[in-house]
Amino acid sequence: MTAASDAPVLDVRDLCVEFDTHGGVVQAVRGVSFDVHAGKTLAIVGESGCGKSVSVQSIMGLTPMPPGRITRGSAWLDGVDIVRQKIVNGEDVRGNRIGMIFQDPMSALNPTMRVGDQIAETLQVHRGMSKGEAFARAVEVLATVNIPDADARARQYPFAFSGGMLQRAMIAMAIACEPEVLIADEPTTALDVTIQAQILELLTELQRKNGMAVVLITHDLGVVARMADDVVVMYAGEIVESGTVDDVFYRAAHPYTLGLKSAMPSQTTSKAVGLMPIEGTPPDLFNAPVGCGYTDRCPHAMRLCGPHRPSRFEVDPGHHAMCWLHHEDAPRSVDVVYRGGRA
Amino acid sequence: MSVAIRFSAADFEPAVAGDQLQTSSRPSLSYWQDSWRRLKQNRRTVGSLWAVIALGVLTVAGPWAWPVDPAVQDVDQISQAPAWPSSALIVPAYTPWAGITATPTRAGEVVANLRLAEPGSTQAVRLVWEPVAGAAGYVVYRSVYDTAPDRALGLPIGEVLGGDRVSFEDRLDLEPRGYWYSVVVVDENRAEQEAYAVLAVDLVRTVSAEEATLRGWVEEGAALALGDRIELPYHPLGTDYLGRDMLARLLYGARVSLFIGVVAPLLFVLVGVVWGSAAGFMGGRIDQLLMRIADFVIALPFLLFMILFKIAFGIGPGESGVFPMLVALVLLGWPSTARLVRGQILQVRQEGYIAASQLLGARTGYLVFRHMIPQTMGVILVTLTFAVPSAIFTEAFLSFIGMGVAPPTPSWGSMANEGIRTMLSHPHELLFPAVIISVTVLAFNLLGDGLRDALDVRMRGRE
Amino acid sequence: MLTYTLKRVLQGIVTVWFIATATFIAMHAVPGDPLANQRATNEQIRQNLEQRYGLDRPVTEQYVVFLGGILRGDFGISFTQENRRVNDIIRESFPVSATLGILAIVFAAFGGVLMGALTALFRDRVPDLVIMFLVILGISVPSFVVAALSQLTLVDINTWLGFSLLPVAGWGTLRHMIVPSMVLGLGTMAYLTRLMRSSMLEITSADFIRTARAKGLPPSRIFLKHQLRNAVLPVVTVLGPAIAAITTGGFVVELVFAIPGLGRYFVEAVQQLDYTVIMGTTVFYGGFLVSMVIVVDLLYGWIDPRVRLE
Repeated sequence: MTAASDAPVLDVRDLCVEFDTHGGVVQAVRGVSFDVHAGKTLAIVGESGCGKSVSVQSIMGLTPMPPGRITRGSAWLDGVDIVRQKIVNGEDVRGNRIGMIFQDPMSALNPTMRVGDQIAETLQVHRGMSKGEAFARAVEVLATVNIPDADARARQYPFAFSGGMLQRAMIAMAIACEPEVLIADEPTTALDVTIQAQILELLTELQRKNGMAVVLITHDLGVVARMADDVVVMYAGEIVESGTVDDVFYRAAHPYTLGLKSAMPSQTTSKAVGLMPIEGTPPDLFNAPVGCGYTDRCPHAMRLCGPHRPSRFEVDPGHHAMCWLHHEDAPRSVDVVYRGGRA
Repeated sequence: MSVAIRFSAADFEPAVAGDQLQTSSRPSLSYWQDSWRRLKQNRRTVGSLWAVIALGVLTVAGPWAWPVDPAVQDVDQISQAPAWPSSALIVPAYTPWAGITATPTRAGEVVANLRLAEPGSTQAVRLVWEPVAGAAGYVVYRSVYDTAPDRALGLPIGEVLGGDRVSFEDRLDLEPRGYWYSVVVVDENRAEQEAYAVLAVDLVRTVSAEEATLRGWVEEGAALALGDRIELPYHPLGTDYLGRDMLARLLYGARVSLFIGVVAPLLFVLVGVVWGSAAGFMGGRIDQLLMRIADFVIALPFLLFMILFKIAFGIGPGESGVFPMLVALVLLGWPSTARLVRGQILQVRQEGYIAASQLLGARTGYLVFRHMIPQTMGVILVTLTFAVPSAIFTEAFLSFIGMGVAPPTPSWGSMANEGIRTMLSHPHELLFPAVIISVTVLAFNLLGDGLRDALDVRMRGRE
Repeated sequence: MLTYTLKRVLQGIVTVWFIATATFIAMHAVPGDPLANQRATNEQIRQNLEQRYGLDRPVTEQYVVFLGGILRGDFGISFTQENRRVNDIIRESFPVSATLGILAIVFAAFGGVLMGALTALFRDRVPDLVIMFLVILGISVPSFVVAALSQLTLVDINTWLGFSLLPVAGWGTLRHMIVPSMVLGLGTMAYLTRLMRSSMLEITSADFIRTARAKGLPPSRIFLKHQLRNAVLPVVTVLGPAIAAITTGGFVVELVFAIPGLGRYFVEAVQQLDYTVIMGTTVFYGGFLVSMVIVVDLLYGWIDPRVRLE
């Protein structure tokens, strides 16, 4: 990870979340830890169902807690564990010190309320502004996210906005109170590629201006490459690899990460080799795997991978991977994993 | 990080298939299996399903199990509340009574020793007393309530003229219950005295052998001896204001009400499905036309037109009025189903998997039966289940305002209508039809709720 | 918005025309002689009567006269009460029915929305269970039974109290209106409660509620401004048919509580086959319901801005 000269803004430790369903208990998140620093972007990558959305939504208290349960873990924001308490000093940290934007902007806004009012709400609640003041400020924020004719737009309803503009409006809503952390849960998945680029640029710009920490959840490695400083790869409810974006991209130390990269079209993919999808499907989290969850699909699986959960090995300084291949006794094959300095 | 466990060299050999057993996830269920499973889990719904089945059994087998004619009037047991079987004592046939005279021996305001000459029965009540000097006559009252505190003597049933006539026979509408008889002295000025003598009597139901045979309570030529007890026709749920057996009426009424309540929805849902599917499939101008017609029929005020149709079809003598009501319900009920089905079809048509199927070479028939029908089935089933209580309500409502089935054909609604009139004195006549209507409607409503919850596709992912 | 309104009004007029025509056809399909219960003892009187009611003219002409009368607002003369004009009957008795209906709707709408929201808030806890039980009773027990039972209960209460807390029947003062309108609105209120409940539950898991929570808004604000406002929409949609249901349910309540409203006149007219009253009342009611539906549509458009674009 990037050298931490300052303490992380958000520090999540050993988060475990499970759900009661008719078929049993699903362990959706099985011990997830990550942190993010001011002005930096952390990307959480993984396929659908790996637990990335559930992790952040549980931290934000957005997972319905009757079927869901946080069985373990903490999330520290400026010295307060916000898993335990959301109200700090009489104020809710959500919308205030942590902002969040979601995947589908069309359904994420109240259809019967003007966009400007929805932004102004956070200001009224968290900053105590009057309706007029809050609305004026909301218009300013809309302008900040590059929405033209902000005043007229603020008086419109969500259905009058296009997808990209709605996402900008949602970003405006999330940053109106200048939060320390912005969590973006697949913000560009529902948008066109060109709009995607605009949104990502906007986020980068805002980050530069406000010094926000950004947690970006995505399954798109291209987005990660563009925006992330640090990356965390999740699979079957666990973090299998973490490091800087260079570490993870150029020095991938987990077979899953390697598999993801191989499945992605890039300039180096030759027609002869072709794209290599990862065979199989992720494990069923009703019976959470005892050992490494990737065993069934891993071309390098060893006997001990199934029964024994891999430890977290430090491959490079700040670069970790949960894989037995990094055990000192494991067979070394240069073409499988690059171990910086230990080939 | 150091590893706490010591591993051997063999551990690091490549894993072979079969080393790690990843048990598969829960078995995959088809849409119907999944829905059925969810239906079964919901206890309220299962209960209502049983209730509906029970109603069906009642309707079909009821009149066969309780073979009493609902139109027969038992005039001896009019408006009787539910009770255990009653019996009657066989006595000799009635013979007139001459009565008794006696000379007054004392003066006074009130007669003494008011008593029965013989045990009181429904055949006759014979009172005797000791006369009072100075009386010009006596008035006899009868009440069904205790006369005590308020001097509420009740019905004056007769006057005896002459101070020495000391008997009275009452034969007026005698029922096997308790009565209070009061005798008041009347003086020469024909004024009644304040004081009165009262006697409480409990009557026993009696009947003569000839009458019993006449009434059909016993077989012809049955050997009846005096003192025998014979059973009266038994009405477990009592009788209505015309003496008709409530249970039989309810069972026959079930046939009428449920026939209308189930057949009408089946028919108009069928019509609606065909109409709506046609509109949804063909689209374009035909769709517009079909829907315009449907919209117009929806716009007609339902109940008003139900009534109009009923009048228009008329009810001839001897008809029950069931058929016109059925036709009216179907004519007015089909459009909402048509709209619903059309909406579903339109929605399903643009789903991705339809296009995907077509690309894979599916033909229209396959698409219809494999994809569209299951999607709409859920909606249709739920509509049907909710249409039944609505139809029953409508029938009950119409019968209530006199626009339903014609008497004597029983239906729950008309029974409720008749029951309202005697609501205060004989509540059971209203209670039974009202309760059974409510239970039926409730059962179908709960069933519809449960079906909708179980079949709702969106909710499948929520678990 | 204006074009929307105009379009709806135009549709409404066509619908009323359709209702009038359907009524006319239905009434003329009735078997039997409309003058059968008149004192048409001899031919001369009969001819006079026919002329008076226009029955001696061909059917198509009668239809034109009928439509013309409606356009002028004249529904003709009652068949059974020869000197009363149908218009007068309607004018006298409709306000009574309307008052009853409005009170019932207000009771049903406010009660339904409130209780539906409560059940969703206290989901699966005591208030939810109690209210849902009452709701199930409310939709199962027929309205005439409720009307009769409430009258019975009122009599008992009055007897027990020794004085008349609320009048048992009749019309005239505010106290007369309370029980009948509550009885009339009960069924609809139960239905609206259920609708509101399922709408609220659906809204609660909607994406924009998640966003509202992520914004750290207090639960009360989320409830009022986000959940309630959106959950009420389906209830408003249903208000049109609900008004229709209350109008027809009014017949029974008027009968049981002896209220001199239009519904009671209609039922009597039907039983006595008073043609002009039946036709006039049907067309009038039809027009009334159509206009109510339009009003509700406009109301919905005001609440939900998405509809206005259509």
